[in-house]
Amino acid sequence: MIEKFKREWLTSPGTNIMAGIVVALALIPEAIAFSIIAGVDPMVGLYASFLIAVIISLVGGRPAMISAATGAVALLVVPLVREYGVEYLFAATILMGVIQIILGIFKVGKLLKFIPNSVMIGFVNALAIMIFMAQLQHIFGISFDTYIYVAITIAILYLLPKFLKKIPAPLVALVVLTACYIFFGAEVRTVGDLGSIEKSLPSFIIPDVPFTLETLKIIFPYSLSMAIVGLVESLLTARIVDNATDTYSSKNKESRGQGIANFVTGFFGGMGGCAMIGQSVINVKSGATTRLSTFTAGAVLMLLIIVFGDLVVQIPMPILAGIMVVVTISTFDWKTFKYMKAAPRTDVFVMLLTVGIILVTDNLAVGVIAGVFFSAIFFATKISKVKVTSKLTENHYIFLFEGQIFFASIDTMIEQIEFKQYDKDIRLDFSQAHLWDDSAVDAIDTMVRKFEDKGNTVYVDKLNADSRKIVKELSQLNEQHLT
Amino acid sequence: MYKSILLAADGSNNSFRAAEETLNFINETAKVTILNVIQIEKSKDAILHGENTIQEQKVKLSDIIELYEENNVDYNVVFERGIPDETVVKVSNSGDYGIVILGNRGLNALQGMMMGSVSYKVAKRANIPVLIVK
Repeated sequence: MIEKFKREWLTSPGTNIMAGIVVALALIPEAIAFSIIAGVDPMVGLYASFLIAVIISLVGGRPAMISAATGAVALLVVPLVREYGVEYLFAATILMGVIQIILGIFKVGKLLKFIPNSVMIGFVNALAIMIFMAQLQHIFGISFDTYIYVAITIAILYLLPKFLKKIPAPLVALVVLTACYIFFGAEVRTVGDLGSIEKSLPSFIIPDVPFTLETLKIIFPYSLSMAIVGLVESLLTARIVDNATDTYSSKNKESRGQGIANFVTGFFGGMGGCAMIGQSVINVKSGATTRLSTFTAGAVLMLLIIVFGDLVVQIPMPILAGIMVVVTISTFDWKTFKYMKAAPRTDVFVMLLTVGIILVTDNLAVGVIAGVFFSAIFFATKISKVKVTSKLTENHYIFLFEGQIFFASIDTMIEQIEFKQYDKDIRLDFSQAHLWDDSAVDAIDTMVRKFEDKGNTVYVDKLNADSRKIVKELSQLNEQHLT
Repeated sequence: MYKSILLAADGSNNSFRAAEETLNFINETAKVTILNVIQIEKSKDAILHGENTIQEQKVKLSDIIELYEENNVDYNVVFERGIPDETVVKVSNSGDYGIVILGNRGLNALQGMMMGSVSYKVAKRANIPVLIVK
């Protein structure tokens, strides 16, 4: 226990604190940008990022992973905030946490295995496209100065890391260009035009919503979507961090941790969040291995807001938009185009379908569920192809079965059999097949009976061990049929 | 002669030239460790596309491995995840090696334009002799 605590918190603290600081600096523009996407005050995203990072560092399953307010969740709640206001968002965040805790207790982390890569790629790409689209309104049709600020921001973000690796480029863009704006002025919108910054710690609140069934009806669909999307992105990120650090982490503990973090955050005026791929990669790249890095990221973020809050409202929006454009470009999976050429067509279809549904419904959760549904159907179709070939040898008439025999495949199997055989020695060869359920066993019983009705002698041949076992348990065939 | 040589290799032509040069520095007792750094960003591809990163990197290093097999070099391959320059420096300074050898330009074209930054960083910060092969 103490051993584990030491390893997860106290291993090379200096490196982890430094990594946390780097992440905190990168989190600030994102937290503000995601708040603006959701249509709430920047403080809602900043409080959320502070709380979620700090809480997940204590109760999460994956050390060194960064969780905070995210675009995926922000995009989901836009209609809720627009129609009902921010208090409903807090309530929805609390319920999101409850759902995630329940899913975590029921070990739903394992279910994520059933999300195929095609759906995950679609999810990541749709997320990138949606955040990108959300930036366009802050870039186009505002002023000439806006274009200049965006262009310089993007240039800094791409060129600076080639010379200067230690200081995060987004921070340099933010500080240098905000200073430019403060000294020289420009015709741009600022964070202050879209909300206010409070230089104080978040405090406990009970969301100001009526505690009625009506409210529950309003928030539940949002909470469910938020919970699903949060877990999908968190567990995807956890697997990436597992891979990057050559370690394993508990996905169920992470699910519960995400739930606790969101539950608490809702009570302190924050919006829901989850793990972030980009920030976690930055953290691990900076050498982070422990929970201390995540804790530092949250704590330093809050400290910076309390100290520099007055300056934050002066940040020109085009800088944030430029930073977010670069973030989405690195979020997008550029291997997708190679994937579309190489992967099976059904996988590519599922990937495009996932992206399409998400972009049409504006809901990442719906896209993931639809993607999983279609890939399951494709899988069942693909696997339910059974091939039956027949051949006549000197003494026997042999039917060779190839494929997976189960409820979905027995019809195609039986259709291929010519039952008009009389007084023959028939062998059903299952050496290339596997029987999976009682429907399969029933089908074999039926075939045997049909042949025997016409005076044939039937042998069920070469069942593999598993198939033989269920035939023995479920079938009416007797020993002499089985060879 | 060095007993223990570290060869930092990314699988590029330059790293192959460095591998060839290594042959001039060894005798029967020398051991060469081929260090390949896997970048953290690779993990995203590994998960999203089910790629086996180590397997892929091995393919990239196959020319070097073949060269060493032909010349009966006592070698082993080590994979480390991290930022290339920092990781090479860290392993160089681990105390296990007498010299680090690397090519002067890696795979990243943009970084190459700004001069081979990995070799520059390693030359600056490694505590053991550094041989940069042009």
